[in-house]
Amino acid sequence: MEYPEIDAFASLDSFIHRLDPRAKIVSFTVLIFSFAFVNDIKIALLILMFSALVLVSSRIPLTFAVKRIRLVFFFLFPLLIIMPVTVDGNEFVSISGISLSIEGLLYSSLIVIRAMAAVTLALIMLATTRFDVTMKALYALGVPGILVQMLMFTYRYIFVISDEFSRMWKAMECKGFRLKANYYGLSILGNTLGMLIIKSYDRTSRVYQSMLSKGYGGRPVTMIQFKMSAKDYVLSICMTLIAIFVHTYQLVLL
Amino acid sequence: MHISDGVLSFGVVVIGWVIALSISAFILWRCKSQYDLAESIPKISIMTAAFFVASLVHVSIGPTSVHLLLNGLLGVVLGIMAFPAMLVGLTLQSFLFQHGGITTIGINNVMMGIPAILAYWIFRFGYRKGFSPAFLGALCGALGILLSGIFLALFLISTGEEFLEVAYAAALVHVPIMIIEGIITGSVVTFLLKVRPELLPFDMEV
Repeated sequence: MEYPEIDAFASLDSFIHRLDPRAKIVSFTVLIFSFAFVNDIKIALLILMFSALVLVSSRIPLTFAVKRIRLVFFFLFPLLIIMPVTVDGNEFVSISGISLSIEGLLYSSLIVIRAMAAVTLALIMLATTRFDVTMKALYALGVPGILVQMLMFTYRYIFVISDEFSRMWKAMECKGFRLKANYYGLSILGNTLGMLIIKSYDRTSRVYQSMLSKGYGGRPVTMIQFKMSAKDYVLSICMTLIAIFVHTYQLVLL
Repeated sequence: MHISDGVLSFGVVVIGWVIALSISAFILWRCKSQYDLAESIPKISIMTAAFFVASLVHVSIGPTSVHLLLNGLLGVVLGIMAFPAMLVGLTLQSFLFQHGGITTIGINNVMMGIPAILAYWIFRFGYRKGFSPAFLGALCGALGILLSGIFLALFLISTGEEFLEVAYAAALVHVPIMIIEGIITGSVVTFLLKVRPELLPFDMEV
């Protein structure tokens, strides 16, 4: 099982890596929310190019980024096939009696393009900061401590438990088990998951006792000091302005 | 199965966030008044991680493969804490794998969390009435997926008329997953009852 290492390239250096984590989270989130609801396909193409530009300037390896963005494209790809057939509108081509509408095609491509732009930005935001720093920045931004702690613990134990699970899986495969979608395979898989849940449950009490003996009291403690510089302010204001501009460009240009 | 960025309209997304955050806040507040939060944070988190890993298992049917959702099972094991646990799991899923977008964490949480809580209530009620746990587990596992599929279709239709047929298709995709999850949840619940019955929260209030 592969580790979900989103921050494998957080140690590179670019102006996005150097941006203050809090400023990065706020300005990228504003941009993502703005880009995900763009209603014009020309603007959607522009924002996709903008996201690609930011991706290139963040110096994250393209293979790493494309591998993750590709997933979203495959997930939304069925829309590109279904919607031209089902949405009514002007017919632009007819294949053996099935008419494809231009409205359906435009609408589904709009969805795919804005989704890819939003995902690219989310990827840049998360891949240019160490994950624990992202979590601490979320806490500094006022996300409730209990949620931040649950995110951090869960993140940490995903790695531990996926190691545990791949050990169990390897042992099962050594004994000749192959997962197939029949009753036998699924009920064995169910027993394995039950065992995984029991092992994790047993682990919780050990972890809690060791945390307690190190003085854990239910509050997150951070030792990172964040500092905003003038450059951080300028960049985040620029990004927020772009986010507003893609929705109000008609007012500005007229 | 997760809704990604850019599909839903702004209104639906905002409603999703409002519902998800208020239910989570209510459950956490209620939990805070009943138990020691310092103890439940690591416990719930590790269980969430276990479910996160379990949901990465892919079962291949025919030419494609589906991955498990396990929201019915999450409800049966964690009780109402399944809802905030789902919020954490979905956030990490969109952060680490880009499954489902950042803007749609709220609506995805509603889509999978509410069926999880319903599954828990049905399981507890049925268990007290003396139904067989294997049957109840299978029912709750299947119901979790069925309700998620219905929610997904409703959210898509409420975004726009254009999504009507897409919504039907998306709901239909859930049928094979429903059968698979029913079998798996039934077998997990029987296993847990045999091996570690105290793990299933029957005696909890709420």
